[in-house]
Amino acid sequence: MSFKTYVAQRLLWTVFATFIIVSITFLLLAASPNAQVSQFAFEAAQNPGTSAEEAREAARQRLGTNQPLWERYTEYMINMFTLNWGYSQSGGGQLVTERILNALPYTALYSVPTTILSVIIGVSIGLYSATNQYSRFDYAATFFAFFGYAIPNFWFGIILLVIFGAWLGWVPIIFQPDVPWLSFEMLKQLILPVIVLVTAQTTGLMRYSRAEALEYVEAEFLKTAKAKGVSSYRVITRHIFRPAAVPLMTILISDLLGLFIASSLLVEVVFSIPGLGRLTFNAILQQDTPLVLSTTLVGVMIAVFGNLLQDISYTVLDPRISYDSRE
Amino acid sequence: MADELLEVENLRTQFDTDEGTVHAVDGVDFSVGRDETVCIVGESGSGKTVASESVTKLIRMPPGRIDADAVRFDGTDIYSMSEKQLRQVRGRRISNIFQNPQGALNPVYTVGWQIVEAVQMHSEKSDREARERAVELLDRVGLPNPGTAVDEYPHELSGGQKQRVIIAMALASEPDLLIADEPTTALDVTIQAQILDLIREIQEDYGMSVLFITHDLGVVAEIADRVVVMYAGKVMEKGDVYSIFENPSHPYTKALLNCLPGHGDLMGRIGGSLPSPLDPPDGCRFADRCDYVREECRQGEQPPLHELDGTDHRVSCVYYAPGADPSPLQGDADGQGSNVYSDGGYPDE
Repeated sequence: MSFKTYVAQRLLWTVFATFIIVSITFLLLAASPNAQVSQFAFEAAQNPGTSAEEAREAARQRLGTNQPLWERYTEYMINMFTLNWGYSQSGGGQLVTERILNALPYTALYSVPTTILSVIIGVSIGLYSATNQYSRFDYAATFFAFFGYAIPNFWFGIILLVIFGAWLGWVPIIFQPDVPWLSFEMLKQLILPVIVLVTAQTTGLMRYSRAEALEYVEAEFLKTAKAKGVSSYRVITRHIFRPAAVPLMTILISDLLGLFIASSLLVEVVFSIPGLGRLTFNAILQQDTPLVLSTTLVGVMIAVFGNLLQDISYTVLDPRISYDSRE
Repeated sequence: MADELLEVENLRTQFDTDEGTVHAVDGVDFSVGRDETVCIVGESGSGKTVASESVTKLIRMPPGRIDADAVRFDGTDIYSMSEKQLRQVRGRRISNIFQNPQGALNPVYTVGWQIVEAVQMHSEKSDREARERAVELLDRVGLPNPGTAVDEYPHELSGGQKQRVIIAMALASEPDLLIADEPTTALDVTIQAQILDLIREIQEDYGMSVLFITHDLGVVAEIADRVVVMYAGKVMEKGDVYSIFENPSHPYTKALLNCLPGHGDLMGRIGGSLPSPLDPPDGCRFADRCDYVREECRQGEQPPLHELDGTDHRVSCVYYAPGADPSPLQGDADGQGSNVYSDGGYPDE
């Protein structure tokens, strides 16, 4: 099988997986009681003349839930795949997609630098630790890693805000969304959330890359490289990092998922950044079903495509993984 | 000895472990002349591999520690060189090939990439020139279809082919000295002979010296000019290959030769095992397994390498001390003693 067919196959599988996930979501929603219908019924029961049952029926008709399941499913699937995700119930009649698109840049604003920084810092410290195992630097890095791992994100964020925002007044406490993107003000208000997330992300990556690199530190091919006259820097970057990068890819993707799904929520709430995380948080609080559904699906999409990327990068990075054996 | 290419004096390589310091190589001298093949022989754990890897400091440090009075290569002390200068020697003037071809190539790079790296490490060749050189080297070491093999990954090659690739890599800069650490041990018998022939061939073509590490005395007999017999981090005996085979003098060498199939009436084996490298015993390292052990064997240091009849053949055994009488050893030239017994079995380590 050629590389192209392999990628095409993985892509097809990705579409199929998405299809299944969206279908299951539909079934779950169809099976759960609709808060809105109950609300209408409750209101109708207070007006004399209409029975609760009639009101319920009217509400169902308005929402379209009185139609056969199969028709609802078809319509739902078409809407989902054409990005016709409906109106948000809490946002003054805005389109769900519009709200997500408005929030996305704010999430990207801190998660892109976080990802770049934590990958660079985490992997290089991990590699250095592995090649200098049990040195003072290694112990210090290990200590820092456990520190970062143990500290809850939101708590660390609040503490930093108290110190640098409230006491020292160096950074604004409330995020200002209307500040120009490429400005010193923006940098100032991004610094704390990025520090909080980088601390958390770096520590994991550091430990993993240390462990992966340790697998190769005593490999015989390093001796071959050294015997060729290769410098120790090149040994680390070319001969240790490259094979260690294969399993690291998996961790990297799941780390990024964690960033989008969990960390972003906590950090955005603490720092009041109007990104995806806070949008989800508010949608849940306000029981805005279409919005909750859509923000969840965004996470699912990232997971599914993350896995696709991971599968492809695996075969690109490790020549021993053949395309055929992974059908 | 003006024509020595490599001279190693009092090499000591130790490893710090949780249990203590392992004295893997404990004061070893050897030398390799120009165009000469020197074999270091010994059983597993005798320190021969560590000694060979210590020459250009390929040992991981820490946990390893290497020290020597001098390691002279072509007249310069390479142990007083900086790491950067030493890198200019590695691969360019002294190359290594290793025991296990399965592990000696990086699995994620093509064979060509790894040879090109070796070529470009010591030359200003462009990528294209280096690639051409790689194909040429692969052709030289007898890899079939070098033009396509250059783009293959190590896992697509057999063990023998991998070893050829490693030899090609070692030849990239036409070194003066090739250090071959049991290059045939991990291979099939038929492939072993091919690889051995290849090493001999390229040695002649390139006018290289070879330091060959092996436990196989059959191989030694085929290729060596001089032999160094190591045991538990010490040199037991060394000399000209004919002298060693015709007149093995140290009880350990005698016992080793006795383990060769077809040597003597029955195949022997050496009872017991190596002494602890953590806390080597006083006196001769071989004393505990030696049939001729005397009181003085267990005292002081390993005996010095006594000259045998004023030749290059030297033996580290009290029986050959000036004025001592070596006849008790010669009376039993086959080495068939009470401890070194013959039962027709294979040597089991």
